Amino acid sequence: MAYFTVDQARSIIRDTYAAATADVPAVASGLYAADELAGFPGGAVSLALGVGHPVRHARLSPGEVVLDVGCGAGIDTLLAARAVGPGGRVIGLDMTPAMVERTRRHAAEAGLDNVEVREGLMESLPLADGSVDVVVSNGVLNLSTRKSRALAEMLRVLRAGGRLALADLVVTQALPEEVLRSAPALAG
Amino acid sequence: MLTKKVANIGFEAVATVDRRPFGIDALASYPVFPPEFVDFLRRVVPADRHDELVWSVVVLARKPKGTGGVHAG
Repeated sequence: MAYFTVDQARSIIRDTYAAATADVPAVASGLYAADELAGFPGGAVSLALGVGHPVRHARLSPGEVVLDVGCGAGIDTLLAARAVGPGGRVIGLDMTPAMVERTRRHAAEAGLDNVEVREGLMESLPLADGSVDVVVSNGVLNLSTRKSRALAEMLRVLRAGGRLALADLVVTQALPEEVLRSAPALAG
Repeated sequence: MLTKKVANIGFEAVATVDRRPFGIDALASYPVFPPEFVDFLRRVVPADRHDELVWSVVVLARKPKGTGGVHAG
């Protein structure tokens, strides 16, 4: 059962993530090794909001083109950009304008000029068919009210043989209904 | 389950490569969850699920070859 319309859900998520602030890397310190984060802007590290480390599992190679769906403040985009090197390219995508700006700023501060950041929806990716080698996403698919549509878009933009590395939260036992009806639960 | 959904979309070689319990304490470290929401969860979720509210997973998959598209590199 859906407790929020698509527009309500997007509005709640945009507002929540635009307002997010953090001074300490509470999430990042549990997901990433210290040497992986070295040289990255503090804002990208402290606002890491993922739930896994898809970039590590994606085994990126120099020269690859990567799409980070729901890039947030950019930590996985930066990690991917470093992995693919100057001959590769990473496209960070987020539906929240504040996060798009944060990732752009953090990529510039990190000196990574192989990063492009776009505003857009995961259910309607603003990329051509078969245009990326790898799609990564970290804790974002669960925010969509149209998950199959979002996955179909990821499949569409991948080249044949391209790879998906998806970190997300899954529910194995139903949560109490009052939790499902709450806006903060939707935003996470 | 997420792997089934990914496979049904048309991906192949779908596999879960990491799977960890994600409890209320972990959730509390995310700045998108206000403290009052965390307190609310502790009240309404049975105590035996506080350490396994949900699971964090990493799923890998591949787009089948011969399904169109051009190499991106």
